[in-house]
Amino acid sequence: MKNEYLPYPATIEEIRPETFDTKTYKVKFKDQKIADSFDYKQGQFAEISVLGVGEAPISITSSPSRKGFLEFTIRATGKVTDEIHKLKVGDVLHIRGPYGNAFPFDALKGKNLYFIAGGIGLAPLRSLINLVMDNRSDFKHIKILYGAKTPEDMCFTQELEEWKKIDDTEVWLTVDKPCDGWGCSVGVVTELWKETNIHPDNAVGILCGPPIMIKFVTMELSKSGFKDNDIVMTLERYMKCGIGKCGHCNVGEKFICVDGPVFTSEQVKKFPEKEHVL
Amino acid sequence: MKSKHTLTTCPYCGCGCGLYLVSDGAKVTGAYPSKEHPVSKGALCIKGWNCHEFVNRTDRLSAPLVKKDGSLQESDWETALSKTAKELRAISEKHGPDSVAFLSSAKTTNEENYLMMKLARAVFKTNNVDHCARLCHASTVVGLASTFGSGAMTNSINEFEKADLFLITGSDTTAQHPLIGSRIINSVLEKDAKLIVIDPRQIELAKYANVYGAQKNGTDVAWINGMMNVIISEGLEAKEYITERVEDFEKLKEVVKEYTPEKVEEITSIPKEKIIEAARLYAKAKKAMIVYSMGITQHTTGVDNVKSLANLAMLTAHVGFDCTGVNPLRGQNNVQGACDLGALANVFSGYQKVVDEAARKKFEAAWKVENLPGNVGLTVTEIIDGAGTGKIKGLYIMGENPVISDPNANHVREALQNLEFLAVQDIFMTETAKYADVVLAGATFAEKDGTYTNTERRCERIRKAVDCVGNSKPDWEIICEVAKRAGYEGMEYSHPSEIMDEIAKVTPIYGGMSYERLEPWGLQWPCLNSEHPGTKFLHKDKFAKGMGTFLPCPYKPPAELPDKEYNFTLSTGRVYWHWHTGTMTRRTSVLDREVPQGYVEMHPENAKALGVQTGSLIKVTSRRGSIDIKAKVTDKVVKDSVFIPFHFKEACANVLTNPALDPIAKIPEYKVCAVKLEKI
Amino acid sequence: MAKTINKNQINSLLKEVEKEYKAFAPIKGPEGDVLFKLLCDGEVALGSEDVVISPKDIFFPQWETMFKFKDGQIEETCESAPVFLFGIRPCDLKGLLFADEFFKRDIEDKYYLSKIEGRFIVTIGCIKPPRKDACFCTSTDSGPFAKDGYDLQLVDVGESYLIEVGSKKGEEFIAKHAKFFTDSDADTAKTKEDAAKAVELKVDFKKALDLMADDKFTPQEIYERIGERCLYCGGCLYTCPTCTCFNVFDNATDGKGERVRNWDGCILSGYTREASGHNPRTEKWIRAARRYEHKLKHDCKVTEKSGCTGCGRCLSSCPVNIGMSKFIQEITEKRRTM
Repeated sequence: MKNEYLPYPATIEEIRPETFDTKTYKVKFKDQKIADSFDYKQGQFAEISVLGVGEAPISITSSPSRKGFLEFTIRATGKVTDEIHKLKVGDVLHIRGPYGNAFPFDALKGKNLYFIAGGIGLAPLRSLINLVMDNRSDFKHIKILYGAKTPEDMCFTQELEEWKKIDDTEVWLTVDKPCDGWGCSVGVVTELWKETNIHPDNAVGILCGPPIMIKFVTMELSKSGFKDNDIVMTLERYMKCGIGKCGHCNVGEKFICVDGPVFTSEQVKKFPEKEHVL
Repeated sequence: MKSKHTLTTCPYCGCGCGLYLVSDGAKVTGAYPSKEHPVSKGALCIKGWNCHEFVNRTDRLSAPLVKKDGSLQESDWETALSKTAKELRAISEKHGPDSVAFLSSAKTTNEENYLMMKLARAVFKTNNVDHCARLCHASTVVGLASTFGSGAMTNSINEFEKADLFLITGSDTTAQHPLIGSRIINSVLEKDAKLIVIDPRQIELAKYANVYGAQKNGTDVAWINGMMNVIISEGLEAKEYITERVEDFEKLKEVVKEYTPEKVEEITSIPKEKIIEAARLYAKAKKAMIVYSMGITQHTTGVDNVKSLANLAMLTAHVGFDCTGVNPLRGQNNVQGACDLGALANVFSGYQKVVDEAARKKFEAAWKVENLPGNVGLTVTEIIDGAGTGKIKGLYIMGENPVISDPNANHVREALQNLEFLAVQDIFMTETAKYADVVLAGATFAEKDGTYTNTERRCERIRKAVDCVGNSKPDWEIICEVAKRAGYEGMEYSHPSEIMDEIAKVTPIYGGMSYERLEPWGLQWPCLNSEHPGTKFLHKDKFAKGMGTFLPCPYKPPAELPDKEYNFTLSTGRVYWHWHTGTMTRRTSVLDREVPQGYVEMHPENAKALGVQTGSLIKVTSRRGSIDIKAKVTDKVVKDSVFIPFHFKEACANVLTNPALDPIAKIPEYKVCAVKLEKI
Repeated sequence: MAKTINKNQINSLLKEVEKEYKAFAPIKGPEGDVLFKLLCDGEVALGSEDVVISPKDIFFPQWETMFKFKDGQIEETCESAPVFLFGIRPCDLKGLLFADEFFKRDIEDKYYLSKIEGRFIVTIGCIKPPRKDACFCTSTDSGPFAKDGYDLQLVDVGESYLIEVGSKKGEEFIAKHAKFFTDSDADTAKTKEDAAKAVELKVDFKKALDLMADDKFTPQEIYERIGERCLYCGGCLYTCPTCTCFNVFDNATDGKGERVRNWDGCILSGYTREASGHNPRTEKWIRAARRYEHKLKHDCKVTEKSGCTGCGRCLSSCPVNIGMSKFIQEITEKRRTM
């Protein structure tokens, strides 16, 4: 029987600063067999350990279409992530996974896609976005709507520029507080509805960000005519084990870590209201 | 897989719950309540359920440390013990016996407390031995001894199940003594017992109260006198009982007649109707229990507060019967025992006074020494002050963490640095141990045999479940080894049961105790001889001192009141999830997670005026220091008062507190000082 | 024909068993408390003694080292040894089977599953309820005698126990230890009937499940009362045979130490607090609701079985007298019990 709780060493190969408190880590398992068996899908997460400090669930931000490494975008918000931020290239993390369900992929083929993200929420979406980009001809029109607190809080700025250049792909940015020379929108991400056409026909909205943002974006998408089944999002909840055993992320009869983190708006509506999933 | 269950006693509060430590031979892997134990009855609080965890922590001290080239380094026992004995002996010889002092511990066993005071008195010939009871119930010991003749909880925990009225003041009972708090809740909700809560914080029990009054901090004498005023003016006092059992009623009448409900409302801000209602309810109840704790004792008027509650109980014949009495809830698991065993500057074990020559002669004979000192020694706060002024040059601290627990923490640090020699005996590297010249690695409750005495005077066993960590030793062994190296031969024991046998010989209230008789659930003192069954409640038929004495007190304001600059009143205390300086609970995952950091509770109106909300960082400053701490906005505190739990070294409440002392009990005024708040 | 074993043969039989298994049974200590312990720890108590903790802790200890680490190297510490569980109660059997299924579901939990491998279970029917005012197993259909799931079941018929065989493993065991057993034609129907009658506390469990199944049913006033009265001691979670929540943390200094799991539970506020400080379940009543809905509603959706076994431990370990049976009485009988 496999001991699912045992993490495996992985070396940090590259660290890219994203914002003042967020960095992207490119890592590679030390053992090639482990690397080969780590067969993940877009939207899944892994449990990352700093031995002696603890373990935290982190979504995988690299695309399964780009092999040979894993990427995690990590914000320093707690004991474990603070400790990860102290590590350097060549240091070792311990990783197990992948866990959770995934964003739909085949079901999105032939559709118009709206990726809507807030802050570090772009990290899990990035996995799917790059997978889609690597199979660009399978999809119709793509809009990426991304909001952050300030321009400095935007992650993946270089990639946003690159996505913009791809045919039939639009990137829309907005911030709460602009700085000098900010050339894009100001306001929460739903403000972008005024600037660009959001149309439900043959379209799916894929959301990731803080719960409050997801809540308002879902409302706006519904208002624009999106069906609950065509609104897909990831939910956050405090997790420990990542494999549906420790109970922390158990909501209703679902485990966010096993049954999620990806849910449709239709599924989310079935969660008890008092659980405040959004 | 588990293999062993060891019955023992919980190391947290004074309830003294019976529990089983589960062990796999090397580690303790769980803690389960005893069903048959008279207090736990199959239940525990969350601290008890998780008391195995800190024992297993990898940062336990596993060997003695000795300071070398300015830093503490791992050493062997011989070096650490001889250095401790030699340094203390040298200081004592050079500067006189009263230049050294000993802090004992309410967390360690009765046997260890007895040995610590024996070490101070018999070996180093000083009465400078004290412990944290000074900081919690010193006022009780003085106040109840002078009115009743005995400074302990009068009743037993199970009597809380059958009382029909509780007057709770200055005790957050459900948080600090959960298994007493639960009995109160059950009595109130299921048996219709009445409940009066007087507390400046709206404690959990307040929601079930028939009368709840929030007094201004430090005005307790006034409201208690007010209740007595109403009782006497309405003729509700117990006339027959007073005539038969209590003296000086006229003196009481004289003092309390001024405290009309109107005047009391002015002083305390408790509406006069509530004073009257509380007085009537209390006087008319059949079986009334007063419950109090630090909110009463930790004041410059701590002794007066306690005497006033004792007066109130005697006035209404509410002491000396089953389910009827005055119940100071002792905080630490063994603070009752540490007092009983004489880890106090003025008494030997069993409260036999050091100034009494006959008592000294008795101990000289028992310990085979001469010239035991007859002067009262220095108390905890005076010892720390003495270290600051240079009067105390050598200090041996066992299981206490004064840097976090004593008032005016900055002053404590300076004082400790000023010592010529400091030995600290503990289970973790505490904030205090960092200042030590020698650190002696002691054992937890799970690693040694001994006894604790809980708040209801029940002396009960703790039993070894696992071996000591690494090279650490049971505390009683360490003390004996130090004594031996200081040249004393009268401290050799092969097991703590032998220490208990010695205790029984010299301590009348423990006279009938032995490890054999303590099986399985202990004995409640007084237990005078080997046939004595122990004592469920005190002062039956007559008071311990014969006649009870009314000792009326006029109201005196606290030492430091808010003014224009320091315009808030600060009181300090504890939360349910943590224990004292956090040495154990902050190493317990679930407890640390529930409340991971310190906070200051403040009223919504004050928060609004300051422009802060829950989570905002603010600076709290008193005349002694300042700390940065997160705000918690709640209407459970009254306006212009703030509350800070003192568990957290990162936001150490005792940097702020006032070391002003009660003149008799020498207890500091933790519950009132003036502070100002600034948004950061 | 059925077999019996004389009561005075039990110890000798268990001596045999210990050669092959790590054997646990309810053992009464000198103080009167009964706990599931290794046989060598004392005398087996098969009367109507209350065992404070269900035997779940044998397979899911309160504190368990998951692995050790040092200098970045991990050393797995996963124990296994075939366990012989002797004298567990039918409610606890139901709890164990429930936990087995949970730990097997989706991704397997090796720590638990390795300990149940080769497990042999002997239940004993309850002639008298061990937790007199709290047991309500007849209402949850989990006692006083187990219907299946055991290897052997003991029925107290006076001087001996009649053996009911529940598995092939049980049959083989009887054959292997034949010298301890004699043939019997004792009729146990009356014994079982009387035993069921002795369970005086009865609640309308079916009605409770039906009520709770309705998403619109939220007796908030009851949850609020429970949330306010609760002391947050964790006793109901720790003693519950089907509560399996745990916390995970590293107990380490300077990168050397162990990863540990320790019992945890949903009534605690920090249980759902996120790293950001946001907590979806800060309100006490929501946490109270979580516990009751989990046992009476969500478990039924996933497994078609309620997570309540009627053992009554939540009530008997509660310092403030809150318990599942009382909650059920409140919602089904519409009267205040807490």
